[in-house]
Amino acid sequence: MINIRNLLRDKIYIDQYLFISITLLSVMGLIFLYSASQGNIETVIKQSFFVMFGLFLMFIVSQPDPDFYKNNAVIFIIFSIILVLLTLFFGKEVNGAKRWLDLGVFTLQTSEIIKVALPLFLAAYLYDKPLPINLFNTFTTLVLILLIANLVRIQPDLGTSLVILIAGLYILFLAGLSWRFIGISTGFFILSLPFIWNNFLEPFQRQRILTLFDPNADPFGSGWNITQSKIAIGSGGIQGKGYQMGSQAHLDFLPETETDFIFSVIAEEFGFIGVCVLLSVFLFILLRCLFLAFNARDRFCRLTIGGLSLLFLSTVFINLSMVVGIIPVVGMPLPFISKGGSSLLSFYIAFGIIISMATHKKLMQK
Amino acid sequence: MIDINERYSEKRNFFKRLLFVYIFFGILFLYLIYKTFSLQVSSFTDYELASLENKTREFLVQPRRGIIYDRNGKIIVNNKPSYNLILSPERVDDINILISAIKEFINLSDAEIKNINDSFPNKKKLNREVVIKRNLTEEEIARFEVRNYKFPNVQIAERYSRENLYPYLFSHSIGYVGNLDEDELREILLSQGLKSSETIFTYSGGFLNGKTGVEYIYDEKLRGSFGKKIYEVDASGRLLEEQQLIPAIDGENIITSLDLPSQKVAYDKLNFRRGAVVAVDINNGAIVTYVSSPSFSVNKIANGLSQKEFNELINDDNKPFFDRAAQGRYSPASTIKPAIALFGIEEDILDWDFTIQDPGFFVLPEDGRIYRGWKKGGHGEINLKDAIIESSNTFFFSLAYKTEIEELRDHLSNFGFGTNVCIDCFMPDDGLLPSPRWKMNTHNFGWFKGDTVNMGVGQGYINATPLQLAYYSAFLATKGNLNKFSFVQDKDIDKDIFISNNINDTDWDNIHDSMIGVIENPKGTAGRLKTLKDYVIAAKSGTVELVSTETKEDYKIIREEEGKRDHAIIIAFAPMPNPKYAVSVVIENGESGGSVAGPVAVAVLNSLIEND
Repeated sequence: MINIRNLLRDKIYIDQYLFISITLLSVMGLIFLYSASQGNIETVIKQSFFVMFGLFLMFIVSQPDPDFYKNNAVIFIIFSIILVLLTLFFGKEVNGAKRWLDLGVFTLQTSEIIKVALPLFLAAYLYDKPLPINLFNTFTTLVLILLIANLVRIQPDLGTSLVILIAGLYILFLAGLSWRFIGISTGFFILSLPFIWNNFLEPFQRQRILTLFDPNADPFGSGWNITQSKIAIGSGGIQGKGYQMGSQAHLDFLPETETDFIFSVIAEEFGFIGVCVLLSVFLFILLRCLFLAFNARDRFCRLTIGGLSLLFLSTVFINLSMVVGIIPVVGMPLPFISKGGSSLLSFYIAFGIIISMATHKKLMQK
Repeated sequence: MIDINERYSEKRNFFKRLLFVYIFFGILFLYLIYKTFSLQVSSFTDYELASLENKTREFLVQPRRGIIYDRNGKIIVNNKPSYNLILSPERVDDINILISAIKEFINLSDAEIKNINDSFPNKKKLNREVVIKRNLTEEEIARFEVRNYKFPNVQIAERYSRENLYPYLFSHSIGYVGNLDEDELREILLSQGLKSSETIFTYSGGFLNGKTGVEYIYDEKLRGSFGKKIYEVDASGRLLEEQQLIPAIDGENIITSLDLPSQKVAYDKLNFRRGAVVAVDINNGAIVTYVSSPSFSVNKIANGLSQKEFNELINDDNKPFFDRAAQGRYSPASTIKPAIALFGIEEDILDWDFTIQDPGFFVLPEDGRIYRGWKKGGHGEINLKDAIIESSNTFFFSLAYKTEIEELRDHLSNFGFGTNVCIDCFMPDDGLLPSPRWKMNTHNFGWFKGDTVNMGVGQGYINATPLQLAYYSAFLATKGNLNKFSFVQDKDIDKDIFISNNINDTDWDNIHDSMIGVIENPKGTAGRLKTLKDYVIAAKSGTVELVSTETKEDYKIIREEEGKRDHAIIIAFAPMPNPKYAVSVVIENGESGGSVAGPVAVAVLNSLIEND
């Protein structure tokens, strides 16, 4: 027995803390989804297949040595860019947005792939560069990040493109971008905001941002979602209205209950207590990632764990800020909770990579 | 290859930066939790209310208006039920199948079917009822009732319309109802602590309020209070389930003092002529008869009138909408003589033995102007009593000549002239009791003595409404002890008591006797009424000259044109010696107070006294 366990420990790479907490989160997600989908068992069954497949995928992805990812990062990024380009030309159009590639059995949201591939590639590219990162490397990576983010933005998918941008910048930052460069470029960014507002944002995106500051200005237009979400969250109170008892969710006042606004459903039905329980699971996962990053075997692993965990953190934060009305509605799922295929799987893959980075010890240290 | 030192500093640098981002997000997360906390805990009650308001929809439930009765408990205005076939669309998938099934036993026009088809999808979405057919006949109701088990989603709903059972008899007294405008509705709802919202109507005509007459004056009492029906709704406004019902409170019923039989008599006797009849119970000032002629159907007004019908009514030269009883201004003519006589006694100008020589005209000493009586050659030597019975103008010209206009005016206002005599009439006119100041203001002329002389026979500027003439009549009957008039006796009203220095009970009796003489005395101006009744009536007739003529021949020319003929007018009270009812009748261009207005007055009194 002991031999088998030792054998397993040597051959199988798994972080039980992350595995348990992510499984817990996924199961909670299924329970919430059942209520958020008005008791639609089909949706829940479909989602549980994704969850099981995702957990399996996470396990598989965590087995290869980090060197495998480091060596193949270029292939991954090129493959991802091709997929995104294909989407632009042959994508399936839904509600005026071309984000999906029809693969027959499965429609793939290609931006979700590149969301993981880009940080991985940047970590692989920057891990052996001397510190601080020189101007050439800064600019080449920055151009790549902006290029990819822009490819996703024109689908249009502002939310994901924002996350890609942020994830790319994290890696740059963690890899040792000079503070001076950060200061100067932040200044430029702020100065160019009016330009971005006028040239890079669609009218509906501008409207969403404006709505944020005064949701009551247009209560039945784009302010409706924010207003109804706040009512749902607020009316949940401390204890919540009870499972499947949320009137905001069940009488259709709340939009997108299965995806973007699932947190509002949770807050309405489980109250502040439920919110705290959910957030502590997220917090646990994030703190575990921080711990794993500190103990990673080399710079590449550190950068990857740091970048991917910040990607996760940003996604969670954007979704929550959106539904409570701190930032505009951008269309961002709550990882492991919201209904979804590609977006869900991309995080299982991301955590699979994190686990791989964290559990493989350096061969030469043995 | 990077050396150990560099790797070490790289690692430290990395940790610092990762911690920096984590702490940055940590702060943001704290803000997020604070924000959630403030939504869920601090502002909980606001959002709980907002969530409740989201999912509930209040409907107003329209109350039924009170029923209006006559003084004997006969219904005048009722709520007439009509029956509509309605559909709850929620569980109906194919409306066409349903329509063709219903069409087999209830006749539906193409327009009705189109209406149902057009409204069905939206009503189904919102779960609101669809009217399949309005105003079902009894036969249709019966045919549906035997088949209703086949139609679980179809039912018969009761709706009402406001119906006056005598649509022409009470047009100006009870009045009519009509639709409210938005401001009126808001005000009514506000007074009941409600706000405008979707309404479950009780009346097929929608929101109603009284527009004229008793319906208007007593609207607050009649209207009742709206109820509420509260439903759970989803975001699209679709009704899910009824949560609460606060029933509407129906309006109070009102028992008026109006008397149906006498009202019928007055209406029939006026027989579409232009005129008015007002009769009251002198003991409490209750209006028992109130007719303005010609009349119009209040039901048509309240429940929809075609544009053509409306234009015909509006452009009718006889002005059926015009309430002659409360708003028509007529010279009191000779009917004013008893009041002038009482003034003469009050001011000690004459007594009952005083006589004058009546040559048929009166010469104004100031300028020699001649004021003629109605009888050529005059009444000879005549005393006060006979002057009333025979209606001697000369007698009253000379009496008025001896009065001061301001004092005469004060005296006449006691009798109701120039004042509002009714507490619940709809827009009553005050008539005109002229004064020198009024004349100066309106005509820019000073008051002549001749104006006072004219007033002595109720001609000239003075005029009064039939309502005021009835009050005057009742005032004489009660010897100056009378309530203000009203249609509904539900409040305490102080009596108007006539205070006098010189007029005693004998004087009043003499006035009564004189007015009895108007009919009973062979010389009386209304002698032909004598045979129309079997009790004693006190009366005073009058004939209102619209055009001043000197001879009968001149008048014959004038009367070719109907509109220039004299108005006929009479006031009366009966039965003597203990009168109970007073009445006034005006018939425009009726020419003779005694023989034209008189029979109407007698018929009304007959009806009232017989039915007591």
